[in-house]
Amino acid sequence: MTSGKILHLQRLSTEDGPGIRTTVFFKGCPLRCDWCHNPESISSSLQTQWFSTRCLGCKTCVETCPNDCLSLTENGIVINRETCQTCGKCAEACPSGALETIGKTVTVNWLLSELLKDRAYYEKSGGGVTLSGGEPTFQPEFAETLLRELKENEISTALDTCGLCSRRTLDRLLPYADLILFDLKLFDPILHRKFTGAANEQILENLEYVRNYIHSQKRPIALWIRTPLIPAATATTDNLIAIGRHLADKLNGTVSRWELCAFNNLCRDQYARLGISWKYEQTPLMTAEDLARCEQAAKSCGIRPDIVLVTGAARALETT
Amino acid sequence: MTTCEVAEKPRFAIKTPANLSPRIAWLRDYYFQGVERKWNNEYTAWTTGAPWDFQYNELSFYIVPETYAFLQTFRSSFKQSARRVELHPDFWKWSLPERRAWFNREVMVNYLPKEILPGDLIAGARFNVMTSSCLNKKETQERDKLVYGPKGARAAMLWFHNHGYGNAGATSGHLIPDYQRIIREGWKSVNAELETIYAGLSGAEKRGKKGGQLRAMITASTMARDLAAEYSKECLNLANAESDAVRKRELLQMADNLTRVPWEPAQTFWEAVQSLWLTHMLVMSDENYPGPGDSFGRLDQYLYPLWEKSIREGMDVEFGKEILKCFWIHCNTAYDGMIRTGGNQGITAGYGQLFTISGMGAGGRDMTNDLTYILLDVIDEMSPILEPKPNVRLHRGSPEKLLDRVVEMIASSQGSPFLLNFDERSMAGLMLEAKKSGAERLINENNVFDYAPVGCLENTMAGNDRSGTVDANLNLLKAVELTLTGGYDLIPFRDEITGKTDKRIRWGEDTGDPTQFKTWEEFWEAYAAQTRRIVRRIVELYEQSEAIRAKYFPTPYLSCLVKGCAQKGLDVNEGGAELNYVTIEAVTYATAVDSLLAVKHLVYDTKACSMAELIQALKDNWVGHEVLQARALHKTPKYGRDDDYADALARQVMELWTEETWKHKTKSTNRQFRPGMLSWNYWVADSFILPASPDGRPRGKFLSNALCPSNGADINGPTANVNSVGKALGGKAADGKGDWADYLNLLPNGGSHTMTFNPSILRDPEHREKFKAFIKGYIENGGSALQINLIDADMLRDAQKHPENYRHLLVRVTGYNAYFTSIGRELQNEIIARESHQMR
Repeated sequence: MTSGKILHLQRLSTEDGPGIRTTVFFKGCPLRCDWCHNPESISSSLQTQWFSTRCLGCKTCVETCPNDCLSLTENGIVINRETCQTCGKCAEACPSGALETIGKTVTVNWLLSELLKDRAYYEKSGGGVTLSGGEPTFQPEFAETLLRELKENEISTALDTCGLCSRRTLDRLLPYADLILFDLKLFDPILHRKFTGAANEQILENLEYVRNYIHSQKRPIALWIRTPLIPAATATTDNLIAIGRHLADKLNGTVSRWELCAFNNLCRDQYARLGISWKYEQTPLMTAEDLARCEQAAKSCGIRPDIVLVTGAARALETT
Repeated sequence: MTTCEVAEKPRFAIKTPANLSPRIAWLRDYYFQGVERKWNNEYTAWTTGAPWDFQYNELSFYIVPETYAFLQTFRSSFKQSARRVELHPDFWKWSLPERRAWFNREVMVNYLPKEILPGDLIAGARFNVMTSSCLNKKETQERDKLVYGPKGARAAMLWFHNHGYGNAGATSGHLIPDYQRIIREGWKSVNAELETIYAGLSGAEKRGKKGGQLRAMITASTMARDLAAEYSKECLNLANAESDAVRKRELLQMADNLTRVPWEPAQTFWEAVQSLWLTHMLVMSDENYPGPGDSFGRLDQYLYPLWEKSIREGMDVEFGKEILKCFWIHCNTAYDGMIRTGGNQGITAGYGQLFTISGMGAGGRDMTNDLTYILLDVIDEMSPILEPKPNVRLHRGSPEKLLDRVVEMIASSQGSPFLLNFDERSMAGLMLEAKKSGAERLINENNVFDYAPVGCLENTMAGNDRSGTVDANLNLLKAVELTLTGGYDLIPFRDEITGKTDKRIRWGEDTGDPTQFKTWEEFWEAYAAQTRRIVRRIVELYEQSEAIRAKYFPTPYLSCLVKGCAQKGLDVNEGGAELNYVTIEAVTYATAVDSLLAVKHLVYDTKACSMAELIQALKDNWVGHEVLQARALHKTPKYGRDDDYADALARQVMELWTEETWKHKTKSTNRQFRPGMLSWNYWVADSFILPASPDGRPRGKFLSNALCPSNGADINGPTANVNSVGKALGGKAADGKGDWADYLNLLPNGGSHTMTFNPSILRDPEHREKFKAFIKGYIENGGSALQINLIDADMLRDAQKHPENYRHLLVRVTGYNAYFTSIGRELQNEIIARESHQMR
């Protein structure tokens, strides 16, 4: 039975494609974006995290751990990540849910039965299921089986991808996708490598490949581009214009939406729980003016301006 | 030191009324002046003058345990302030219903002042009365013994409540009188029918009880006519003194209308609304209780022919809306009853004069019409205001235009300005009711679509149905407690006033020592036995007040408006209605289900603790057992997550208690018990009575509300919450053969389901479309009724700090609207704590 690693399911998701959707967050990603908003999704391995506010200090976990990786200190539970094997026993034993295993291995069958529970809402809204992450193409076998099963059950599907994967993987997944949400973060290959850890040549090639695939098919397949707006990284006028020109040049008429997703800092605590420092910890939300500048830049490149959409929160006005 | 505080500007905008004509703006503003008004509709009390006389029928208030301390005070104060009515010389020779009918008619027609407020287009102002019980000395003594005796209704009720079972009492209202008949045929048709039936009685019957009841109803059936004549005179007087030509014409028209309606059939829309209002307000007078669930039914259906006719004959649409808005104001004056004693100038929570619009008709046809949209405009333009309470019926075939308007109105208010009621699920429940009670002749696929909810959300048929929808409220959780003790109270009740503690008595079933149970199945069987026992207990308790009401509190006027009473010669309080039910509203459902899940999981499945340890933890209110409590709270399955394992047990609990409920009828009035779920505010108040529960809840933490999952349990989001609710009700039939289409519904009354969303869910047209689809999904998967709160928790916290800025902020609490700033701090915190769903 095919199985894979996911973080969790988000039901009644309204931000990952049309209609009401359930988004499946896959665990594991080939990129290492400095700003990553879902740091728990980067690693392919399971991880353990501890929530201080939930902890009773009962030491059940300390007593349960077979490898003595846990200790209760003045600062709460400390996990020795060198020795922790992520066996999950502590999280299972923890009575209050203070210790949690990030990620779980699930079968396609189990996942499918969960996803079908909201069929009524998908059908009434023109929605469906979105595979996101992490990176769904990072688990091609799992993603392919899931998408195929969903199509067999007549559920509309969306594939949310960073675009960094092999042709072969695309060949396996595209036949079962009704919508591709394709990330273009930075157009300059050097900056792309600097901020995400990988060059973008393959991503851009894959985008053209996806375009050609869409054109070759009789059935309608939608393509949305997503760009995270990260201050001083992707949210520069130069970058947005470069991406916009590329879209106008190569994908005009194929792309039906370009979403600019505003930076947010809700993941700050998540970084802390994982024991990872985050470059953007002190970065405030963008201002409304800055978001407007980005929108303006995106709309000025020769694509249809009405396909540009800014989502997310701006900084609240400072009150005196 | 702060010497004065400057009121801050409200940080959040709340819904305000719009498009009000100067007439309506004045009437609305005047209404909200509350105690500062010169005119109000405060109770007046009226007596026969007999030294034993009393006015206040406390049975109706037994369902409000908070009032028990005041019951005697109310009785005494109404008595002291009562004015004497000059009695008819034969008064004491008449049967009780005749006395009551004559007395009420006398007060309403000849004693109460008749007033018309400036600009008002509808006559009928004062109706809040406490009239004499009209009992003679012997009857009073008998009745008082039954109520106040050591084994009387009050002591029984107090015992029941103090021991955590719930509450019960024969309550007024909660039905849809046959208003549409009055509008179509006039009171004269009712009167003629009564005369015919009476003429057909034998001499012995005429001399007997039946004769007395029918004579009483004949008297009552002329009350509206004679009161209309008085108001007509007042309109003429005002017209004569009026200098403004336009207003003069209006007053003359009102005078003219009142010479016809409500005695004759209404000929215009204006007459129809006038007829409806006078007829309705007299129901509230007849029951001496303003508007507790006296509901209008399908207003946009039965008023439509006259709306359409008047528009065709040239009535201006805006004027038609003004007539409706005057009707709105009148409905709100119900709250004047205790204007000087209630909080927020008597305007506290809701009485529930519910009206229904849209919905399905014959053959599944959608019945939305022009008046539906007009009524939605009126709701929108008058909002926020408490009465009358709107309900919109939705189904698979509801038009997009209606759904768009509904979503738009939800988006522009703090929550839905109306209840949403779902036809397929609701009708499945009523079809089941017909089957269970052998009422297929009266409820079937050819008329079930004419149902409508009453009060908060309780589904009934219209014009012939009294379903006693709030009369019996049972805490299902009590059966879990009794199972854990083998039939004893877990913590003996201690009377705070006398300081006495109960002796150890086995009130419940002897189901054995639970520590000796080897399997979950044994525990379940014991729980089932205790559940059957508590259902029988509430049936027995209810019988006491039902029998007293049937014998001593006839409502002959209301009986004229309920089909069956005239034919049987029985008062509606004696079971005269064609359809007679008493609804047991189960409270603490999710807390009970989660507690059973916790017992199964902790004791039997994972063996995290022994039964003895669990019981000790509950006795200690979890103190010293925090690890086990955390496990119960966070590591056990719960209802509300769309988890088939947990929801299967939820369904089992539902089947168990509803099955037992169908086995019982009242002895005195032969009314069939039926199941429903509505917990009003009991889930808050009773949380301090019921001890800690196995789901991890300590005493004092709120119980679950009606059909909703426990607070915070629905961690898989709104769709999962909705799916669980639908499954608990029975879901859909696997073979497609449900009780209505493929739908099943174990609760004919329906169940209250409230969901709170963050306003961002409706932030732009794209998201409003998604929310509309969510509602369509609800029609498929959800319950019978939904109330939506759309509130930012920050706004509520701001309202707690600065109540002066949020006087008109309405929130929904179990089916009734309440002004947030007027409800208790505990309930406020509860609303803030509710899971606020955000679409992400």
